[in-house]
Amino acid sequence: MTAVLDLRGIEKSFGAVQALRGANFLLRPGEVHALLGENGAGKTTLMEVAYGMIRPDAGQILSRGQTIEIRSPRDARAAGIGMVHQHFTSVPALTVEENIALAAGRRTPDHGADDQLTQQLRLGLDPRVRVEDLSVGLRQRLEIVKALASGARILLLDEPTSVLAPAETAELLTLLRGFAASGGSVVLITHKLAEVFACADTVTVLRHGRVTTWGPLADHTMETLAEAMFGGTLPEDEPLHPLSGVAPTEPSTHGPVVRLSNVSVPALDGRGPGLVRATLEMRAGECVAIAAIDGNGQRELMLMMAGLLPAREGTAEIATPVVLVPADRTTEGLIGEFSLTENVVLGLLAGGVVGTGDQSIRARGWIDWAQAEERTQELVKQFNVHAPGVWLRAGALSGGNQQKLILGRALEQHPAVLIAENPTRGLDIQAAMEIRQHLREAVARGTAVLFYSSDLDEVLSWGADRLLVLASGEVRELPATADRDQVGRAMLTPAGSGTP
Amino acid sequence: MDPILAQGFLEASVRVATPLLLAALGEMLAERGGIINLGIEGAMLAGALGAALGASSAGVWGGVGVALLAGVLLTLVFVIVSVRFQADQIITGTAITMAAVGLTGVVYRHAFGVGGAGLTLPTFKPLVVPVLNRIPVVGPALFGQSVLVYLSWAAVPLCWLLLFKTRWGLALRAAGEDPEAAAASGVRVIGIRAAAVLLGGALAGLAGGTLVLAQVGTFAEEMTAGRGFIAIAIVVLGRWHPVGVLGAALLFGAATALQFLFQAMGLGVPYQLFLVLPYLLALVALSGGMGQARIPTALGRPLVGGQS
Repeated sequence: MTAVLDLRGIEKSFGAVQALRGANFLLRPGEVHALLGENGAGKTTLMEVAYGMIRPDAGQILSRGQTIEIRSPRDARAAGIGMVHQHFTSVPALTVEENIALAAGRRTPDHGADDQLTQQLRLGLDPRVRVEDLSVGLRQRLEIVKALASGARILLLDEPTSVLAPAETAELLTLLRGFAASGGSVVLITHKLAEVFACADTVTVLRHGRVTTWGPLADHTMETLAEAMFGGTLPEDEPLHPLSGVAPTEPSTHGPVVRLSNVSVPALDGRGPGLVRATLEMRAGECVAIAAIDGNGQRELMLMMAGLLPAREGTAEIATPVVLVPADRTTEGLIGEFSLTENVVLGLLAGGVVGTGDQSIRARGWIDWAQAEERTQELVKQFNVHAPGVWLRAGALSGGNQQKLILGRALEQHPAVLIAENPTRGLDIQAAMEIRQHLREAVARGTAVLFYSSDLDEVLSWGADRLLVLASGEVRELPATADRDQVGRAMLTPAGSGTP
Repeated sequence: MDPILAQGFLEASVRVATPLLLAALGEMLAERGGIINLGIEGAMLAGALGAALGASSAGVWGGVGVALLAGVLLTLVFVIVSVRFQADQIITGTAITMAAVGLTGVVYRHAFGVGGAGLTLPTFKPLVVPVLNRIPVVGPALFGQSVLVYLSWAAVPLCWLLLFKTRWGLALRAAGEDPEAAAASGVRVIGIRAAAVLLGGALAGLAGGTLVLAQVGTFAEEMTAGRGFIAIAIVVLGRWHPVGVLGAALLFGAATALQFLFQAMGLGVPYQLFLVLPYLLALVALSGGMGQARIPTALGRPLVGGQS
């Protein structure tokens, strides 16, 4: 069968950064096509070209043998292409129904082949509920329903599972297979090789803007794909799945740096339990991991400890400086429009969230930009941040490099306490490995690290000294050796309802 | 052009541009922090009345002091409502400007009587800068101005230093680009925004005071006549940069001074046509017709979540 989407020789540069260097991509009807590559390889850019959000510098787009022009998302939708972005595009204040109508435009509801699929997708989506009241999983499902409502036969999904719980992920993959079985085509951008093997027919691997591998998935193993992504097999001590953990370090004997006693914090968005009477002690050089389902008080706990949310009751004694590596790199971590240097100075001057600030690059409130540049260059080198220059917009860096910069800036302050919220989310294996390594070194130097990941496997394989579970806002400690089932049960049951 | 006419035109351009420059620099500081303050027109009017009240009892410098105070006090209302409690900035700013029109009218009539006509206040005398004023045409136009004009020039590099060379400036710009990221880096977003807006209010008050103390020597109700809004257009045209703002303010000053020039040249064009010119220019600036400017990303947007 002819390709429904055929991208040829696509090139695209953003200033000094060359994102795509003659990339090809071929999508056939009825297939789930995994698009792989490390961060900054150009996956998202390539799909944004196909969706008309980015005009390529060179190259052409064909569909069923005909050259087509895609100048805008509007053109893409007319060509039957729908995209589900990492950042959702629904209007929070409107209802599910209104958002679908908005996406469908003047198109009348289609009672065609995917009716069954749409029905299935709409399960749990009350048309009269406002989107702001939906869970993340349902919001994402709405994005897919919207794409289908606009008549899409080609679905482009940009890391759709990064926000989903394991059960939701499995459900999504099943839905995508169903869509492909009905003749649709799916492009799945992902980092998780397990998902690729669970769902895809075909795979394309991008590396530095070029295709390194393309073909049926059956021809590949995890090792060959990793090779195509990174150009070398993975270091032996770092498993492909972070399941086989690192042995916990010896229990710390340093003094306490965090002392929480019956601390409660109201829920951040007015919904959910918030943090309920949390009691916790952490010592210097101790790594504490948190396991929890999203929205069970972990965000409130971390933001409170970082000094960004006030406690409603209880007492909290926390040694300074405390620094936060926030979950959302682009909205809380860095200022995209600021240069790398400005971002570093901002973080260092403020001394993180609570702290004394950095004396060397300021005197009485003045900034020594020459020295700031030098410091930034050192940091970029030390933390292996790939950037053409330190005066470049931070927003132009890939996610992994942004995160390394944030972490470098945080560790530069020699924090007593470091709070890391989903520090490796969306990063490729290589970048995630570097982040983990830096955090372990910080622990070894005596920093108390509180770490949370929404990926339970990552929490369990982290090699933390202690394991906390938050359920309905209540904190409970499990043995660091607890297995997946024990932790999973604890995540679903609040402390008050008996031990798991 | 006749050198006398040219000198007069230049002198008038600079003089007219001065209150616009002061108000626009103040607005620029607020907007760099993410706050759009439409109450600046009201703060100018309050500053003008403050200058009149101060000058009538304590001389020109008394006028300056009360003008600053009046600008800050009126802006404090905006800060409390829109920065601290994060109410809609556009509505709050508009309400404050409209309230200022009524309020200054009442205070003025109470202080100076219903007629008020013929109120004559002390004004700043031109301060001639020796040597420089002997440059032909430009010298007398630029260096025979009042001390407030020189002050407004000094404010340009001061604002530049503040924004780009101090940690305060960096934190302010961060608050204007991305308040959540700024808060996460330890910036007290609301505090720094409040400080910038209040500083802007002081400059707007001084701008109003300049109208009274360096230009007309009297007060009239609604005498600012939209200059605060022009200042907002100047900030856009000047691309949120002190030097750009200086250039844009001078351009608006020149557009206003054109009417004097054409009257002096005896052209048979109704002067009202030229009165329209600065406002037309403002529309062009606001419609973005002057090139792509990089607006502070979080302009007009309150901090979401957090307590900084």
